[in-house]
Amino acid sequence: MNDTHLKAKKPTAAKSLPAFGLQITELQVLRGMSLVINGLSHHQQAGDIYCLTGPNGAGKSTLLRTIANRLPIADGNIFCPVPIIYVGHNDGLSGSISGRENLKGWAKINGFPYPSAAIDKALASFDATGFANINVRLLSRGQRRRLALTRLALAPANSLWLLDEPNASLDQLSNATLDAVVIAHATLGGMVLAATHLDFTANASPKFIALPGRQE
Amino acid sequence: MIPFFAQIERDLLIAWENRQDLAVMLIFFVIIISLFPLAIGSNVAILDPLAVPIIWIAALLSILAGFDRLFAQDVSDGWLDQVSLSKLGLGWYALAKAISHWLSAGLPLLIMTPIMAVMLNISVSQIPQLMVALLFGSMGLTLLGVIGAALAEGARRGAALMALLILPLAIPLLIFGTLASQSETGIISPHLMLLGAVFLVLLTIAPLVAAIALETGETETGL
Amino acid sequence: MFDFFANPSRFVRITNRLLLPLVIISSVCALIGLYLGLFVSPADYQQGDTVRIIYIHVPAAWLALFGYVGLGLCGLFYIVWRHPLADVAARAIAPVGALFAFLTLLTGSLWGKPMWGAWWVWDARLTSMLILFFFYLGFMAVANGFDRAERGSRPAALLALVGLINVPIVKFSVDWWNTLHQPASLLRNGGPAIDESMLTPLILMLVAAHAYFTIVVILRMRALLTERRAAALMLRPEKTTSRGLT
Repeated sequence: MNDTHLKAKKPTAAKSLPAFGLQITELQVLRGMSLVINGLSHHQQAGDIYCLTGPNGAGKSTLLRTIANRLPIADGNIFCPVPIIYVGHNDGLSGSISGRENLKGWAKINGFPYPSAAIDKALASFDATGFANINVRLLSRGQRRRLALTRLALAPANSLWLLDEPNASLDQLSNATLDAVVIAHATLGGMVLAATHLDFTANASPKFIALPGRQE
Repeated sequence: MIPFFAQIERDLLIAWENRQDLAVMLIFFVIIISLFPLAIGSNVAILDPLAVPIIWIAALLSILAGFDRLFAQDVSDGWLDQVSLSKLGLGWYALAKAISHWLSAGLPLLIMTPIMAVMLNISVSQIPQLMVALLFGSMGLTLLGVIGAALAEGARRGAALMALLILPLAIPLLIFGTLASQSETGIISPHLMLLGAVFLVLLTIAPLVAAIALETGETETGL
Repeated sequence: MFDFFANPSRFVRITNRLLLPLVIISSVCALIGLYLGLFVSPADYQQGDTVRIIYIHVPAAWLALFGYVGLGLCGLFYIVWRHPLADVAARAIAPVGALFAFLTLLTGSLWGKPMWGAWWVWDARLTSMLILFFFYLGFMAVANGFDRAERGSRPAALLALVGLINVPIVKFSVDWWNTLHQPASLLRNGGPAIDESMLTPLILMLVAAHAYFTIVVILRMRALLTERRAAALMLRPEKTTSRGLT
């Protein structure tokens, strides 16, 4: 991919915003005894969509979890002045309660507004209204994924979204919805960093970070 | 405070949905208590002095038995990741967990206690001080359980490991608790104060220890 | 941190210089101490020859406590500064400390039978020592209780730290409670309450035991470091670069 060429297509709205972004310098992350991320530097500005690519075990999830402050940094640093929204492998939904209760609880612990109208709107964004009142354990993998993604609709405009394989087990329609939501977020000055395969948000021409696989 | 109460509300909702687990714990409590007279024999002269210790040991075991999955569910479904990025903070999260767990497990057990006390022939006048002591004891044990569950989270034999970690730490609660329950000086005894002191110490350190232990979320799924 | 495991040569160099003197101190003190203790020093007027258990019992008890303090401090260092050497040291100390705690309980039990007429009494000193032993076992169980060994380091360090609260309880239990176990003979206000003919071998045995403890811990640490070094070298990856830099 040619980055300079793609940059011209970047949404113009982002340019007017101050460049408060994610800054990673010389990051090293250990998993056990193995150094999974070795000296990664990355700077991302408001309005940027980045895709994280690389073979299995290259450290994509590790990087996202490290930025989300769930794994210790061995060396280097990560600076992110905006709220982080993380949608990981696990959906963060309790199976014993409904999707609506899950989403509302999530909004509350984050201090986001949680009036019913906002929750309804968020659920509608991924067309999850139909199954929002059923216990999550009764839902399919894809439906749970969509519920997890409804969080994005409650996130502040300037937030950084860390998406780990967001389109895993999503159907065609939800995939298009996800692309639209992500592009809209970037247009409004948000940031997105997604570990995903290549056709994610292809319309918005995202930029790529390639993580090499480990050498045996 | 909204995030804090939201966490408690969420846990209570989940506990209510899984209320059959609570029933299992209460039955466990009753069964342990009824095992003692079967093992010791029904000789009142032997059984009566042991009644209070029996209730305490049964309470200790059944409270701790409900703990190995305290954080496991939140870790495996990814809720803990969401918590650690939220305004709640892991320390408050651990405290919220302790409160909701006590409300859903400790409190019902406390309510069961007078019935078991009567069955063990404890005099009615002694029941209030047993209840007060057990109130602090169960809250202290819950906090200990939070420490143990956080330390053992993700371990291979979490439940057994937790018992190994927690039982030595539970000794002060057990000693002061049984003494306070049988004190001659009424409800507010020196032993009850010591029990309260142990509870307060646990109240301050348990959220802290749990937060440090849960800080890094290693999952076995994916790199 | 990563480099440290790939090249812990400074630690090896320093300990190389320490090992030989420690071995000499330990063996010489142990030989003289045992000779004086078993053959030269008199039997106690009350306890008879049984008193000679003291030359094993007291050093073992000291090291069980001393080792736990070390374990707790390592836990603190590991939690606060995350230095991997603290974790290695703690993992090296734990089984050795546990061994000494067990030895204390065992010799105490052997001593208790003729003196108190029971192998075990539930007195504060004995019980708190037993709990100390449980803390050692708990530490080892947590440290090795995870599929990925390093995952256990942090909870184990926390447990070691929490368990420190038990150390003063063991030490002062004989003063705080009226126990069957005799009060402190060496570290007490007003100097040791023990005759010189017994004090000398006891001190020699204490020195020997401390030196022995240090030697074993150093050797265990080196073994653990070598293990980790092998793992680290095997998994050294290539440098990662970001193609997406703007």
